[in-house]
Amino acid sequence: MSAATILLWVSAVLGAASLALLLAFWKRGATVRAGGIVLGAVGLGLFLGRLGGLHDVMGAFWFYALAVVTVVSAVATITMRKPVYSAIWFGMTLLGVAGLLLFQGAQFLAVATIVVYAGAILVTFLFVLILAQPEGRAAYDRKCNQPFLSAVVGAALVVMLSTGIGGMILDLDLDSGEPETGPSVECLCAGEETAHVARLGTELFTRHLVTVEVAGVMLFIAMVGATAISESGKKRVKIKRETKS
Amino acid sequence: MSEWISLVILIPALPLVGSIVTALVGRRLGERVGLPVIVALVGSSCASIALVVEMVRAMATESAGESSLGFERILTVGSWIAVDARPIGVALRADPLTAVMLTVVSLVSLLVAIYSTGYLRDDPGRPRYFAFIGLFAFSMTMLVSVSNFLLLYLFWEWVGLCSYLLIGYWYQKPSAAAAAKKAFLTTRLGDLGLLIGLFLIWMQFGTFDFHDTLVEGKVVAQGIFGLSRLSAAAPYAGTWMVTTICLLMTWAAMGKSAQFPLHVWLPDAMEGPSPVSALIHAATMVTAGVYLIARSAPLFAASGSAGLVVAVIGAISATGAALVALTQTDMKRVLAYSTISQLGYMFMAVGLASSTGVASGMFHLVTHAFFKALLFLAAGNVLVATGHVLDLRRFGGLRHRLPATCVMFGIGALGLAGLFPLAGFWSKEPILMALSARASQGGPEGAVWLVCYLLAFLMTFVTAFYIARVYFVTFFGPYRMPDESKATKPESCRAMTVPLGVLASATVLIGVALKPTGWFDRFLAQTPTLACLAPEEPFHAGLMVELVGTAVVLAGILLAAFLYLRPNRLLDVLSQMMRRLGLYQLSQGKFFVDELFYALVVGPLLRVAAWSGWFDDRVVDRSADEVGRAAGRLGGLLRLTQNGVVSFYALAMMVGLVALLMVIW
Amino acid sequence: MNPSVELLFHYQLVGALLFGIGVVGFLSRRNQIVLFLSVEMMLQGAAVSLVGWGRYHQDWGGQVLILVSITIAACEAAVGLALILMLEHRRGSLDLALWCRLHEDDLPDAAPDPSEEDLAPPEIDWPRLPTAGLLPETPPEDEYRDHV
Repeated sequence: MSAATILLWVSAVLGAASLALLLAFWKRGATVRAGGIVLGAVGLGLFLGRLGGLHDVMGAFWFYALAVVTVVSAVATITMRKPVYSAIWFGMTLLGVAGLLLFQGAQFLAVATIVVYAGAILVTFLFVLILAQPEGRAAYDRKCNQPFLSAVVGAALVVMLSTGIGGMILDLDLDSGEPETGPSVECLCAGEETAHVARLGTELFTRHLVTVEVAGVMLFIAMVGATAISESGKKRVKIKRETKS
Repeated sequence: MSEWISLVILIPALPLVGSIVTALVGRRLGERVGLPVIVALVGSSCASIALVVEMVRAMATESAGESSLGFERILTVGSWIAVDARPIGVALRADPLTAVMLTVVSLVSLLVAIYSTGYLRDDPGRPRYFAFIGLFAFSMTMLVSVSNFLLLYLFWEWVGLCSYLLIGYWYQKPSAAAAAKKAFLTTRLGDLGLLIGLFLIWMQFGTFDFHDTLVEGKVVAQGIFGLSRLSAAAPYAGTWMVTTICLLMTWAAMGKSAQFPLHVWLPDAMEGPSPVSALIHAATMVTAGVYLIARSAPLFAASGSAGLVVAVIGAISATGAALVALTQTDMKRVLAYSTISQLGYMFMAVGLASSTGVASGMFHLVTHAFFKALLFLAAGNVLVATGHVLDLRRFGGLRHRLPATCVMFGIGALGLAGLFPLAGFWSKEPILMALSARASQGGPEGAVWLVCYLLAFLMTFVTAFYIARVYFVTFFGPYRMPDESKATKPESCRAMTVPLGVLASATVLIGVALKPTGWFDRFLAQTPTLACLAPEEPFHAGLMVELVGTAVVLAGILLAAFLYLRPNRLLDVLSQMMRRLGLYQLSQGKFFVDELFYALVVGPLLRVAAWSGWFDDRVVDRSADEVGRAAGRLGGLLRLTQNGVVSFYALAMMVGLVALLMVIW
Repeated sequence: MNPSVELLFHYQLVGALLFGIGVVGFLSRRNQIVLFLSVEMMLQGAAVSLVGWGRYHQDWGGQVLILVSITIAACEAAVGLALILMLEHRRGSLDLALWCRLHEDDLPDAAPDPSEEDLAPPEIDWPRLPTAGLLPETPPEDEYRDHV
């Protein structure tokens, strides 16, 4: 068993422990939470630390910064006991992801993520929360289902995914001595800066035309469905109330 | 020449047909429900007599040319099964022994069937009754006429079944049902001996057939009692094996013929209707054991010691049963013990395994069938008059109420007592003679035979005494009737008196007609199995024997008359003395054989059964249940996963995903 | 290691982490809206992974797929939020454990009543009294209530 594998497992264990602490001992207050945060930080550090530096120093800085922001806010999203905080932390995650996308030459997607997710979807979430969240603290927000098991399973899943994909990538590395493009965090169309959205649009509406159409139809159906569901739900409630009275 | 074939087939077939007809349409016949069986039995009786006549005629013509080994005819009806390519044929035989048995069985059956029409006039179960009677007649006639041990065993069981069915005829009565069960189980215990005996016979002889198998006049397979084997100098090698077979047969015969210690079922079997007691438990079925030993006489003769065992058992039974009969207060029970006692006489006789012994035993069988059937049927009349009260202490002085029955019972009682010149005398004296002849041969065995002889001789006195006691108590003395008798008619109907008359005349005549003339002995000696036995001096009744026998019997009767005809102080003194000595209680308690059986067999068996039941319930059943419950519990464990929480299902899914990834990578 | 491959590896790890955290959230939380957020987070993990692969292979397919996934997320949000609202109308709560009708009849209910401890208000770090002085002005208790 190589040192890297051991490191991976150790970081997974630490991460799982941290998540479990953060999820399970909510009401224990600051100490436990701090312990969880420390454990998680160490775990995350170990996990990311095994990556080593990137060639591009600035790129490395931005990547690590964004990655840490993303992951930390993701953890915060699932561990916050107030759903509103969760939603706000999720917005933070989205920002981090958008940054990561940006560094992969996906400017359009980055903007779309912020606009669509953070702007539209998240606001809808908040809206629903305002509608549905009861006054005060809800018991179900303070007690988790099987926090330990979920943390362990999630950590195991991460380990499996990273080893699996890592193995795949290592194979790639061995297969192709020469990279397909230069080492860069530049955009995909590094050569032709102006044409990014145009290229994506061309790609979307030529090669993936059907996909786009299908996506559009799906949106439409979802809209109809959402309307139908909310309508029917209301009706039933009304009927119930009538029968009661 | 070929008449005998149809006769041999007709004798058993007619009762079977009658039985089936009764079973099928019996309900529609109403009053005449007994008719099919009676007609069939009339046919059977005529056929039996015709068979005897035919046989005598054939013997007369053949005796000059044929061998000295007697007369037999084999009719192979068909093949039943084949074992080891050795077919077991359904073969009927006709020889004097069979003919005698057939005649007795069909005649007594006929008379009893006629009597039953009167006795059971108002009984709702009559179709069943007559169907059983027909079935019994079929089984019994087949039992005595088959020429094969396996078939003999088959019909041996059939008659046991019929006995069971008829003892339990009033199955609503708990005591009758219990008695039927007891009879069946006890005789089955005996039958087990015959079954094991059959295995040994197959091992020893390789066949079940009595007769030789002939192909074109040549013997291809020797039968057990085949002419070719019997004519050999020493037909049965391997004496210990033969002895074992004989002892097993004896065991079976003890069960069927109610000999000590398997006699316990017979007194209880009196729970059945009186005609059934007369037919099955006095005249015919119980003699099947005697028939079996008589049939196997060559084997017993070859074994030597087995015959002694038979005789000793017979002596014990004759003595014990006669002593028990002295004190019983139940009329039919006295007769039942008397039957055991008389069967003991027959056992002693056939145990001699000599031609004279077997002949005298068989003759006693014949006469006993008549006079005991007569006694039982007469007892039936008494029962009808007393409203089915059996207790001798509760009735008396019936001679004016039942004059005909009084006479008939008297004749039967004298016949049983063996008063000259009635049947019992002519059959009992030869047995005593044969026993004394064997005892006089000396040696250690001779001593045993001497004891047997002395017991048998003493018991003639006891027999005379106890039957006379019953007779005097019932028919003489002050008139007493139990309350149950009020609804009954004064004297029984004709259907119930005519058979009595026939039987009574047979009791009077049969001994004189058959024995002093030597006809019976000569006829029976023509049986191959008996003809091969060493010839002995035939019985001649001397004046001395007649005088002594008659004197003893008269002494018994007179003593009984003295004690019981009128209230007697001596009787009280005697009974007090006996009570003081404990002998009375011993006799009254039937020597406590039933209690002994209960303590030694039934009790332990019940305990074993209880223990087995516990084991079955707690161990076998429990383990089976637990296996079933374990599956349920396992399912219960799996059910726990179905808690309805979406998160849990998602968790399971993720665990599955992780496992899958582990397998892939 | 090849820099291009190295970058790909980095993105895959971050994607896996996001996905895993989303899974943990989905498995452990009971608030339906938070569950939804967790699902969205898993989608984000997938998006990060996809964009990495797309860049590595110099292919637009990855980005198109992300676009589609955003669309799906939108649909899902629409339908899912409608469902959540409806369920909330029915039971007056966002608790997932209330919807466990699939469970075996004789098993206990999946949503146990919260204990006293669960419902107790968290300790509030009240300002300490000065050694001598007036009681500081405290807002009415209602304002400390956590409510949205």
